[in-house]
Amino acid sequence: MCEGGCKGAAKGRPDMKPVYPRAASYPQYAGLVDRKNAQVDRQVFVSDAVYQAELQQIFARAWLFLAHESQIPNPGDFIRTSMGEDDVIVVRQRDKSVKAFLNSCPHRGNRVCMVDAGTKARGFICNYHGWSFGIDGALRGTDGKVYEKDQSFEKAQIGLTPVAQIDSYKGLIFATFDPDAPSLAEYLGPFTWYMDIMLDNDPEGTEFVGGAIKSEIDCNWKFPAENFVGDILHAFWTHQSGAQAILGGGVDLGSRYDELAFQASVYGHGIETNLDKVGNTRTLGYPELVDYVFDLSEKAKDRLGELRARAIGAVSSCTVFPNFSFLPGQNTFRVWHPRGPGKIELVVWTLVNKSAPEHIKEQYRKGVMMTFSPGGVFEMDDGENWEYSTRVNQGFVTRQQPLHYALGLESADLERDLPGHVHKGSLNDANQRLFYTRWAEFMEYDNWTDLQSGETAPPQKKAVEAAE
Amino acid sequence: MLDLLNIAKPFADMDTPVDAETERAVCRWLYAEARFLDAERYQDWLEGFIDPEIHYWMPDMETRRRDDPRGTFSYGEAAYFDDNLPELTIRVKRYNEPSAWADNPATRHAHLISNIEVNATDDPSLLAVCSAFTNVRNRNEADQDIIHGRREDVLRKVEGGFRLLRRRVFIVQNVLLSKNLNTFF
Ligand code: FES
Ligand SMILES: [Fe+2]
Repeated sequence: MCEGGCKGAAKGRPDMKPVYPRAASYPQYAGLVDRKNAQVDRQVFVSDAVYQAELQQIFARAWLFLAHESQIPNPGDFIRTSMGEDDVIVVRQRDKSVKAFLNSCPHRGNRVCMVDAGTKARGFICNYHGWSFGIDGALRGTDGKVYEKDQSFEKAQIGLTPVAQIDSYKGLIFATFDPDAPSLAEYLGPFTWYMDIMLDNDPEGTEFVGGAIKSEIDCNWKFPAENFVGDILHAFWTHQSGAQAILGGGVDLGSRYDELAFQASVYGHGIETNLDKVGNTRTLGYPELVDYVFDLSEKAKDRLGELRARAIGAVSSCTVFPNFSFLPGQNTFRVWHPRGPGKIELVVWTLVNKSAPEHIKEQYRKGVMMTFSPGGVFEMDDGENWEYSTRVNQGFVTRQQPLHYALGLESADLERDLPGHVHKGSLNDANQRLFYTRWAEFMEYDNWTDLQSGETAPPQKKAVEAAE
Repeated sequence: MLDLLNIAKPFADMDTPVDAETERAVCRWLYAEARFLDAERYQDWLEGFIDPEIHYWMPDMETRRRDDPRGTFSYGEAAYFDDNLPELTIRVKRYNEPSAWADNPATRHAHLISNIEVNATDDPSLLAVCSAFTNVRNRNEADQDIIHGRREDVLRKVEGGFRLLRRRVFIVQNVLLSKNLNTFF
């Protein structure tokens, strides 16, 4: 309600420019991660105040996964998703670029898109008073003639709030609400070298098949994110029943574990992998898929080199900070959307190589359903662990108790020439410690210069900077 | 293939109701099946109720505009179940493992079945059966999950009863409001 003098708006006209929130600094929350003692204060899983700070410091600033390019191939194709708790529409434009907007009408705020997805939309019309928006987010029209007669009404100024930046990496579209955030490439850093195991093992690239499955779990979002960033340890115990059902035996890391397995972390993103070639793929239960990945691994040696070619189907998992995770070999890709400190909405998709034969794509779709969907024999046993790891902290005394994140404190691998912070063995808390260190950096720093040069920054980069 | 067995197709008009005796028999069969599932007798369920040619499908239910040709669900896309006998067998194997932690301590189940309609089909050995269900699971102290939905079954008449040959399960939830699906419908 500006009475004149505010930039960009004539007297009497409201300033309708997008507002991108500013970050602050919360050293008291950053202090909840104790690097020296390898401990995480349980408040981070239940405190409302910490959660609100996460929405501001992490979800309003980090590059967040939105969609795969293949989900919206044609102009007007769109999906609805979230960035943190913010409802967002992602739309393919006529010039083939992709735009994303807050799904909230600038009139009274109502949602303008009510559906999960659609094709060839010409725009979005708000159900409340009928304002309509183009697929570019601009206000196109208003219901009736009322606004046209109103001298002070200026349509051109009004539209759906766009994300501050949008970009894609090898088919995966990300966006951020922070105009000052570094480029997506800079945010991912050399972690892309590991993402390419899945995204670039074939010249024709990848696609999502079969849409999404969404479910709710009453847990803090960081439990699943830290689980995928580097907790293969749980697989042996939690997923014993699933492994027995599909493989007729327990999860097996094979005889070359000591030599091959490692964890790597860059800016809090992390991968743990065993390099056993097909351990993950095998759990989908279709022998043909195992053969397919063996062949793929051979062929991919030229593109990716021996080490990454071995990782395509291996026992492994990844999280891109903060809440986008995937499993090489099992090909499930997922986002853990925060819904308060004690709830998430989990969305899962299946990724395949575009060049894969149809029956292989179909086996991935069914294999992911059988393992990593709500009825899947692996996913089935994850949820309750995360729910109770979260819920017990309602206990005032319980939440004062320390948690142990100290597996592999002495395991830094200084010899292996791989991107990021590398640790020996995939059975290790190293990536999880770095995930929470990254979390603390986001709580502490109000600017990207500090954010990109903290402890989680890739070591080579730090060495270069120190020399300067 | 009979249209009836095409998993992507709904039943045509349900306008060929069977005689009361057959209907009674099918109701009894459905209630018995529910009782077996309540008791977590999954192996017995597979052996006593499921046809070897089973196709058991429960699609993901999307929210789409009415004018969207794709509709709420679509065969070949994401599903909670899209199983033949090997897949159902794997799921049952997991339940039979002592380390199936999400089922230990035991879940308390109630499968309520209603709105049963039994119709004859062009194939005298097959029946088209519609029903609605309420599925309640309760665990630990107060973890409760309730799922409502509808089913469209094709039953094969066999010696002494029926076998489930095809089942389409449509739940009313878009985001599944449960952390898992440790049950059958
Ligand atoms: S709230 Fe959208 S038109 Fe009024
Ligand atoms: Fe798990």
